[in-house]
Amino acid sequence: MNEPKVAILTFAAALLVPLPRVLAAQVVSTIEAGQYTVSDGVLPVSAMRVAPSIEYALPHATFSAHGSAFVSDQNLQLADGIVSGTFTSPTVYGVRAEMIGNASRAVDDRSLGTDQVDVQTRVHVLFHQHGGVWLGGGVARPWRVAVASSANVTDAGAWTKIGDALARFGTATFTTTFTNFSFTKIAAVDDASSPDLSCAVAATPSANVAMRAMFSVAAEPGAACERQSRFSDLEGTMHWEVGTIELTASTGYRFGDSYDVTPDSKRWSTGTATVWLNDRIAIVGGGGRQPALPLRGLPARSFGMAGLELAYWPMNHGGVPVSLPRAPLVKTFEMHTLPTGMQKIIIHVGGVETVDVMGDFSDWSPLTLVRRGRDLWELSVPLSAGMHQIDVRVDGGPWMAPPGTPTAHDSYGGDVGLIVVAPDKATPQQ
Amino acid sequence: MSQFLSVLRHRRFPVSLAAVAFALLGALPAAAQDSDPLTKLDPNSRNTIELLVDSASTLGLPADYLRSTALQGVALKVDGKRIVDAVRKKFSLLKTAYATLGPVGGEELKAAASVLYAGAKPAQLTPFKARQKDRNDLDAFVVWADLVTRGVPSEEASSAITKLWQDGASDATFNGLWNSVQSDILKGLNPGAALQSRIRETPERQPGNKVTPP
Repeated sequence: MNEPKVAILTFAAALLVPLPRVLAAQVVSTIEAGQYTVSDGVLPVSAMRVAPSIEYALPHATFSAHGSAFVSDQNLQLADGIVSGTFTSPTVYGVRAEMIGNASRAVDDRSLGTDQVDVQTRVHVLFHQHGGVWLGGGVARPWRVAVASSANVTDAGAWTKIGDALARFGTATFTTTFTNFSFTKIAAVDDASSPDLSCAVAATPSANVAMRAMFSVAAEPGAACERQSRFSDLEGTMHWEVGTIELTASTGYRFGDSYDVTPDSKRWSTGTATVWLNDRIAIVGGGGRQPALPLRGLPARSFGMAGLELAYWPMNHGGVPVSLPRAPLVKTFEMHTLPTGMQKIIIHVGGVETVDVMGDFSDWSPLTLVRRGRDLWELSVPLSAGMHQIDVRVDGGPWMAPPGTPTAHDSYGGDVGLIVVAPDKATPQQ
Repeated sequence: MSQFLSVLRHRRFPVSLAAVAFALLGALPAAAQDSDPLTKLDPNSRNTIELLVDSASTLGLPADYLRSTALQGVALKVDGKRIVDAVRKKFSLLKTAYATLGPVGGEELKAAASVLYAGAKPAQLTPFKARQKDRNDLDAFVVWADLVTRGVPSEEASSAITKLWQDGASDATFNGLWNSVQSDILKGLNPGAALQSRIRETPERQPGNKVTPP
């Protein structure tokens, strides 16, 4: 059994180990298996593909690992793998900073594998969780790609989310991203296949730089120069979740001169659809065209895939596992009786912009808590003696039962917290 | 300023003021009516819900429980038909709870309905019909509903809660049991096993510590 096969099987087996629920609330793992068809690449035209992923989310950090492998000649071959870490600062007046680090490997065939490490920082401005913009910058360092240097990456984007998860038409999230890559590339002084690909007009010829072919460039060793390359990707993505269906579609356009942007990477579009049969199993399918990754020496390719996805989600019951519940962010939920008979709700949750509660006591109208400290939120409400139902949400996310309270299913597929107020602690009736 | 003073001196000012005040007062009930969240529902759903709420009120059942169910549906933007179904289901559970427990308080009926909604059988509520004076079963019912919701088998939850109740367990005991069980479940224990393990530790279940009802 070869090394990638052992790694993939170990990873897949680990996904199936049940995790304690205290961790499960923050862990999402999936494994996807299906038929994968690709053209214009060196991968087999059609192969069985396995793609496991795991994500561990903390309030201010997320760690994830994704990978994929395909079966070729009855062997499991690694196709790509990426390990990511994201650190997020608390949100202050709608502004949040984010640091992202990725280490990835892409294998185009058994002889060509490229690694890349990239680090990026972003500043987000959020508009009440319904939209936002960001500006970021960083550096990407490719390994085992001799023809490209480290790249400076700057990006800007905007997103907006419309709809409601429980509404008939679900939610749709639109994202637009503009990313600029700037790096030094080695090119042939004279390229017989295309004058545009040569660096005859380049300003900074280098002395005796070893030349390696990239795409269709053919050159003699020593006949090379360094050339400043720059291209920009403009990409629009729509993600739509309605009921048990998730649809994602994206399209993009690459700006740059013909030296940096090959004709087959000018425009691209991809689409995927996921239909959840229950909260653990989904049918996935998709296809489209991916642009070339010049930094890694990977060509543009068309692909199509269809298969099954098995998911391990932190869901208590039913429902569509389309997003991580945010209530685990709430560290504590307490209620104290004030001398006036009012009940003070105290919630500890850091790094969020808004905290709301609603329940029978508010006729199910959201009441926004007041921030009293770095992670302390408070609100006083009148509560009569008896049983009350309450839900909490942070940053406009889904309504969930607060932690530390008995919980029951509500009539609409969610959960509510149950609170009992003793007669001697109830708010006097007016 | 001179214009203002001239208005003040104008003989028709008090009449105008009264007319404006009258119009505002007249508009208040309409505004209040419009603020009722149930007006967001289609007329058929709203009428059905109001009918169910009135029926519950007539039968002496806690009608606010049904209205609350409807309002939650409106807040979550659920369509009218699902809200009507939910209210109808809760009405049915209230009637079942009332038929089982008899004329207890509205809050206890609501809690009993929650237990039934979680999956308990009506017959399992029967032992709670006989109650001691000044003792309510709210905490017992709430903990019961939670245990079933968390995956404790209905029979096991019913048996444990009923036994504790009959042994005279206090609200604090029920809450303590809930804290321990949910903590064990969060650590990965099987819900049924967590309850069985913790129920053995509760004081009311230990020999020689049985509380005698007054």
